Amino acid sequence: MNVIEIDHLTYSYPGAAHPTLKDITVKIEKGDFLAIVGNNGCGKSTFCKTLNGLIPQFISGDFQGSVRACGLDTRETDVGTLARKVGYVYQDFENQIIRPTVLDDASYACLNYAMPDYQQRGLCALEECGLSGRQDDFIWQLSGGQTHLLALAGAVSLQPEVLILDEPIAQLDPKHADRIYDVLRQLNEKQGKTIIVIEHHTEYIADFCKHVMLLKDGELQWMLPTEEALQRVEELQSCNIFPPQVTIAAHRMLQAGGFSEDSVKLPVTVEEGKGFFAPKPANDIPEKRPFLYKSDEIAAAFENVSVSYRSVKGEPRTVFSGLNLEIRKGDKVALIGSNGAGKSTMMKLLVGLLKPSSGDVLINGKSIRELKPEALSRQISMVYQNPEDMFIKDSIGRDISYAMEVRHIQDSAGRTEQLLERFRLTQLKDRDGRLLSGGQMRRASLAIGIALNPGILLLDEPTANLDIATRKEIMRTLEDMKEITETVMIATHDMQLVCEWAERIIVLWNGQVVADGSRDEIFGSREIVEKVGIRPPEIFSLGRAIAPDSLCYTIDTFLNAFEWRSSPDENS
Amino acid sequence: MKTVDKLSESILDKLSIDFLRNQVLKNAYGNNDTVIAEMDPRMMLVWYLFFGLVPWFVNDLPFLLGCFLLVMITTLAARVTGLVLLLFGVGVFSQTGYLLVVTLLFGGDASAIVPLLVLTLKVATVSLASVTVFSGMDPDKLANGLMWYGCPERLSFSISYAYRILPILMEEFQNILLSYRLRGNPPEHEHLGGKIKYLIYQIKIIIHSFYPLMLNTAKRSRTTVEVLEIKGYRYAAINKQVKKIKLSTLHVSNNDFLFLSASFLWIAVTVLISTLI
Repeated sequence: MNVIEIDHLTYSYPGAAHPTLKDITVKIEKGDFLAIVGNNGCGKSTFCKTLNGLIPQFISGDFQGSVRACGLDTRETDVGTLARKVGYVYQDFENQIIRPTVLDDASYACLNYAMPDYQQRGLCALEECGLSGRQDDFIWQLSGGQTHLLALAGAVSLQPEVLILDEPIAQLDPKHADRIYDVLRQLNEKQGKTIIVIEHHTEYIADFCKHVMLLKDGELQWMLPTEEALQRVEELQSCNIFPPQVTIAAHRMLQAGGFSEDSVKLPVTVEEGKGFFAPKPANDIPEKRPFLYKSDEIAAAFENVSVSYRSVKGEPRTVFSGLNLEIRKGDKVALIGSNGAGKSTMMKLLVGLLKPSSGDVLINGKSIRELKPEALSRQISMVYQNPEDMFIKDSIGRDISYAMEVRHIQDSAGRTEQLLERFRLTQLKDRDGRLLSGGQMRRASLAIGIALNPGILLLDEPTANLDIATRKEIMRTLEDMKEITETVMIATHDMQLVCEWAERIIVLWNGQVVADGSRDEIFGSREIVEKVGIRPPEIFSLGRAIAPDSLCYTIDTFLNAFEWRSSPDENS
Repeated sequence: MKTVDKLSESILDKLSIDFLRNQVLKNAYGNNDTVIAEMDPRMMLVWYLFFGLVPWFVNDLPFLLGCFLLVMITTLAARVTGLVLLLFGVGVFSQTGYLLVVTLLFGGDASAIVPLLVLTLKVATVSLASVTVFSGMDPDKLANGLMWYGCPERLSFSISYAYRILPILMEEFQNILLSYRLRGNPPEHEHLGGKIKYLIYQIKIIIHSFYPLMLNTAKRSRTTVEVLEIKGYRYAAINKQVKKIKLSTLHVSNNDFLFLSASFLWIAVTVLISTLI
């Protein structure tokens, strides 16, 4: 039985010159777990909004063809009725929370549709989403991952047949991401709900999804079973989708060996990959390279720092107590740890936004208490997770030059031009930052961050919410910036970024530094990885699964150390 | 000197946006286990109708003092946050309190004090009654109470949604101010002239923050608007059944009657005393 039937759907936004969706015909079966992939701006979100009638009923535009969801024509059924059939969780899920308490929000839709048992339904949904026991909490007491689960519970409470999630794990650490997908799998398997996700993380697609649908420039390319879809390495890569690293590695090995890919089924998970590769016999056990300081000078230091946040109710929440840490000049630090481990707090302390309740923070040897924020900004700069907050002027050109102009720095116009050039923003310099695409926004915020040429640069999640292609681009930019800025600290969940960029890794866990060292020392220690719940890049895990002592952070190093277990013909 | 420095630093620290946000949240939701918060909102509105209106029309000093004492107790019972009380204090003083001081300074005598005291008492009583009801109770409960008296659903939704959006707005505002703080270059403010310039600078920054604040919030609320539609907000507004379900959560308990009777008794006593004098 088909739960979604789309027939020759073409849609353009009001006033747009070109259609966003072009002649899409597709059927989605009941009980499917479908991943929609495609590069930024290919119409994935637009497509999903046609499924619950928001398009064309709430957002008008030129709509041709027909969409039937659970047998209802989306043009003739009102949004309210459709909402009870098709649930939707937005990418910016925090804006989806309407009510102040958890249970209130989970049952809000049921109340609005006048269901007498609305509270019961809310409670049920909370339980299904793993939030039971939190019903009386306020929404600001929840972590990012829990807020996302609440947004999901709000959609689940109406007991829809179809659930749509727009990039559910973009902002989450691996533990929370797993939890979301586990909940989705439960809903899919136990209750037979059809799940549709827009997803960039192909490792998750390989682990959880049944089918994959590829959209390119608003056109449906194909919809295939996951195994088959992920085999199409080149086609996916041409659309800026990166198949799991395991698959890419196998694909490259096949190509290098001169085999045609059609004869072999490529592995898509670490488990499958184990049977595919074997260590090269001549290979020595790699040595763990320790982290070495480049300089003796200390750029920033925490001395016995304690800090706590005011809470709405009850005792203040302590984030750090007695933290000691030194950052030397020239360090390229990645700060990792789960959501809520204290990464952002550490950065806020360094830029003087938060004052420690005891202890001291030193920047270039001086206590932050004695420095004025405006004097501080010459020495240290911070780029927020949310680039929108960096845009205080009406064009990015003016945003970049602002800090220099108010300080009457000579040739600020020239330097602005240089920065625009360097970050490839010259064409866009008169646009408002908020209206740019994700990657452009990120580049602009980096340019603003280094405008004053600070010695220390802090970046909070520079690659969050970006598709893989944009992420790679930002990673290249960060690599470039290594030469410009002496000391850089990045807080992130993105382990590929950590592995490829960082020279020193600091692991925070419950407000404590539990590990500090080179990537070999951190990722090579099973104890640390398990304790903190770090998820190394897939290729690294694959290497470790086959040869426990291997340390391969990239596909290239992996291919140097491993070969086929058997000839591919036998394997297939 | 050092203590003065420390004091001024701690006051400035307290007045950060973060502090304001915390106080707003605390005020709305942090005191939901007090006697006042557990009252039925309809009863509280009746109570407020009396203490919000009657003091204006009565000039009897013992009666006003009695009312004032009562609302002071209820305000304490509601555990209203420090910020609101401070605003109350500043508000009352700026309305009438300063007249009292000025009168005394310029040689006014007792005859001038009594009428001013009466006016101050009136303003204070009415304000504290409002503080008790509007910040002592959960905004949602209050909204339901208003709805029971026939206020349109949109009004009650606005009240509860305002409390939802306010912390978001303040956080957004805080981030933008932080951008200005990190990238801006405020004038020196060691001396008096510098301090005035600094003040003007800060006001300018706040005005400039408005544009990004509005745009960022607008960007965020695009999703919220769609979600309201999906979650059936529009249907609820026209559905009588929804209103009924919502109002069915309101219950009048013995405590409510006890509270009203105690207030009534207290007022009766003050009236009695004032007639005896």
